Amino acid sequence: MKNRCLLVFMLLTLPALPQADRTWILDQSTLTYHMSHPLHEVDGLSHAAKGKGVCHAGQCDFLLAAPVKSFDSGDSNRDLHMLQVTRGAQFPIVSVRLRLPEANLASPTLDCDLEVQFAGNTAHYSHVPFTQIVEGTVHHITGTVPSTLTDFKIDPPSFFTVPIKNEIPVRVDAIWHPL
Amino acid sequence: MRMKIDLKIMRPASGVAALLFVLAHTVALSAQVASFTLPDAPTPNLLAFADGQQSPTQATPPATSSSSPQTPSKTGAPPSLGDLGLSPEQIQGNAQAQALLDKRTHMLKVHQRLGLLTTIPLATTLFASAGAPCNHNCGPSAGADFHAALGSVSVGMYAATAYYAIRAPRIPGTEKKGAIRWHEALIWIHGPGFILTPILGAMALSQQDNGQKVHGIAAAHSAVAVTTFAAYGASIVAVSWPIHVKFWEHQ
Repeated sequence: MKNRCLLVFMLLTLPALPQADRTWILDQSTLTYHMSHPLHEVDGLSHAAKGKGVCHAGQCDFLLAAPVKSFDSGDSNRDLHMLQVTRGAQFPIVSVRLRLPEANLASPTLDCDLEVQFAGNTAHYSHVPFTQIVEGTVHHITGTVPSTLTDFKIDPPSFFTVPIKNEIPVRVDAIWHPL
Repeated sequence: MRMKIDLKIMRPASGVAALLFVLAHTVALSAQVASFTLPDAPTPNLLAFADGQQSPTQATPPATSSSSPQTPSKTGAPPSLGDLGLSPEQIQGNAQAQALLDKRTHMLKVHQRLGLLTTIPLATTLFASAGAPCNHNCGPSAGADFHAALGSVSVGMYAATAYYAIRAPRIPGTEKKGAIRWHEALIWIHGPGFILTPILGAMALSQQDNGQKVHGIAAAHSAVAVTTFAAYGASIVAVSWPIHVKFWEHQ
């Protein structure tokens, strides 16, 4: 009788197991934008991003966000100028959202459709490849978002009257773990 | 003759006066720090709250929902900025702070353009200095007058350049890093240089016009001028450093 009850319980709960919510937390990250100018090559880094993922009904929604002012290029004057042209005081957060099937989370490559909100505008990037190394529960994900200034309607800053390149790729290096 | 000498002295003196006027304002303005602060960087705040997202099309600050800041996100709902521990103050835009940044950038762009333009009369003044000194039979000379006039223009433009840098709003909480520190440190050389050079130049001109060879402290005019020009040039290079010339890769 006791075994039968257990079996019935398992049969009833098993279908619900895949539906159980699962939360992912961003442990640490480095976001790096690269800016090109005929006279300058600049990388701006941020380690201040925060991230969370929620899996529900076989789908996982991830959000990663960082304050625009947290990007450091090693030159405070340039960083303030970057903050101005990207309207970083008015729109202080850059955020990235993506949705992935839960079944793909352990895959060594992730094909992501990203929604990036930045400078008061939203841009979508389809099929952005990320590579993933899984060590135990730690997922180390790296990839580059092929962002451009025009995607976010940002006027290119210029130096000696020459504007910077439109392409501002952002490299993402993030370590996630499930709760 | 007396009137002529006075006019010669007045020319560089007008440039110096403009420079002194700007520097006098420096004291008052150096303490002027804008009252607007930029949104804070995130803190490890574990409080969660429901939020609205940045509007992609509206040029208004992202709105936050009226929900309680303590409310956790619903089960299975996509994570929100509030779930990340970002406070409403960190998410909320600040139009006044943006306006301050806009004003700062505008003033520094003018500073940059004027600074670059100032190199033209400055370099010309240096070249014109070749015809300024007398070797024998000293007296009034067109070469010296031309040199003095160009020097006055340089000092005036330098004063205007400095004005835009001094008046550009400061952003509180910004730690100065990188090339800007050298750019600012060199002010301590070319700033006094731009005051001393025309004063010494006026003295030298006066001595020369009186038929004397330049002597005393006025004899240091050219050395001070060259040092000032070198520091000014170094200041321009410093703020642009490091330079990676890659014109062939630029599209």
